[in-house]
Amino acid sequence: MSKPTFKIFSTVLLLSIMASAAAYAKPVSNNAGNTPQQISDPIEPVNRFIFGFNDILDRVLIEPLAKGYNFVLPQFVRDSVQSFMHNLQSPIIVANDLLQGKIGNAGVATARFVINSTIGIVGLVDVASTQGLKYEDQDFGQTLATWGVGNGFYIVLPILGPSSLRDATGTFTDSYADPVRIIADNTNHQWIYYVREGLQGLDNRSRLIKPIDDMRRNSLDYYAAARSAYVQHRDALIRGEKSDGAPNNAAAGLDSDHP
Amino acid sequence: MIKAFSGYSLFVAAFCAALFSFTLTAPAIAADTSLSPSAQFVQNLGNTALMSLTGKNINRKTREARVRDILQKNFDVQAIGKFALGTYWRDASETQRKEYMGLFEDMIVQTYTTRFEDYSGQQLKVTGSTPSGSTDFIVDSQVIQKDGPPVNLQWRVRSKDGGLHIVDVVVEGVSMSITQRSDFSSVIQNGGGTVDALLSSLRARKG
Repeated sequence: MSKPTFKIFSTVLLLSIMASAAAYAKPVSNNAGNTPQQISDPIEPVNRFIFGFNDILDRVLIEPLAKGYNFVLPQFVRDSVQSFMHNLQSPIIVANDLLQGKIGNAGVATARFVINSTIGIVGLVDVASTQGLKYEDQDFGQTLATWGVGNGFYIVLPILGPSSLRDATGTFTDSYADPVRIIADNTNHQWIYYVREGLQGLDNRSRLIKPIDDMRRNSLDYYAAARSAYVQHRDALIRGEKSDGAPNNAAAGLDSDHP
Repeated sequence: MIKAFSGYSLFVAAFCAALFSFTLTAPAIAADTSLSPSAQFVQNLGNTALMSLTGKNINRKTREARVRDILQKNFDVQAIGKFALGTYWRDASETQRKEYMGLFEDMIVQTYTTRFEDYSGQQLKVTGSTPSGSTDFIVDSQVIQKDGPPVNLQWRVRSKDGGLHIVDVVVEGVSMSITQRSDFSSVIQNGGGTVDALLSSLRARKG
């Protein structure tokens, strides 16, 4: 079996194992009831250490880079970079849509890929969204969640930041199945993958200057606030395609404390 | 004295401007999208806040006073504070509760004053509201930014004693009240499990 064929084969195998595992997994209750989204954090000391490391790295390197990126490049160039990155994610998004049984969304993502890769000049212009075909992020962590896999516990990944056992598994699986990585690997041009990852991270960070700054300044325990925000945000993504579904549940705890 | 007076008159002028614009724009908005009372309440609050809190040459003290005024009139600070303390509210003595509520309100005022200082042209667009339970409404809105995509914002509005008050703000699925509660409970747990740990942390923050 040739190398790429083997990789595709093993990816499919891995996915089918996970799918069958999911069949046995207990479905996540969509109604958190009176307890607001919580996540267990059994390795909190380790997480705090990595979080502290990430925070220092961010302050001395990543945030200044992201600010510089925002300062040097005009908005339309940064938007192009984002469109290009989004377009490269399309195969992963389509795969996850299909794994979640969201055929319509998979169709939209496929149409986006075709339109933006061609008319949109290799993805640099998001033509599709002007035609009502909006970008929607999907990852394998979300797929696992729709299959009923719970968060597991909280994990802070080095450099990548807040995650959970489930979402870290998802991140790993997505990057494993990522065509960009597979092509880069097979042509011995691994740098393509690293440049892509770096640029992706920079693009993401450059759009989060204000929220992260705000949370740093306004929380007493930045670690705890970030953990809570991560879990709530993921939960909202998983609960609805539209994040409008969020508050009913998110604020439910308020009612419980104030009958 | 002169300074105080000019600050005051500025406030009055801004307030009148806010009222004036409100009477001008409110019917237009109502006719346009036929917003429900809770949605209209949030839209009005957004208009008032943008009008009176975002000016670049308002000094810190004045802005703080205005934030506090808007906060007390439109938010159920007591309910939010109680929620943020979670189960520790029960353990707290009357003195502790009182000090906590004062410090909590100061903290929110500080936070929002800074946010409005950093204001850079965002606009609030209320899109609708849905009832939640017997007393609450969830008001959907978007913050329209000049640079970047709109941010989804939801408001939990509660009708109580014939008035409407906000009890939570949810940004892209992240509830401010729940995040606050996680933050506070972590401070308390790491400080020996007493409310005093939180109080001293809040005091230190206030400076």
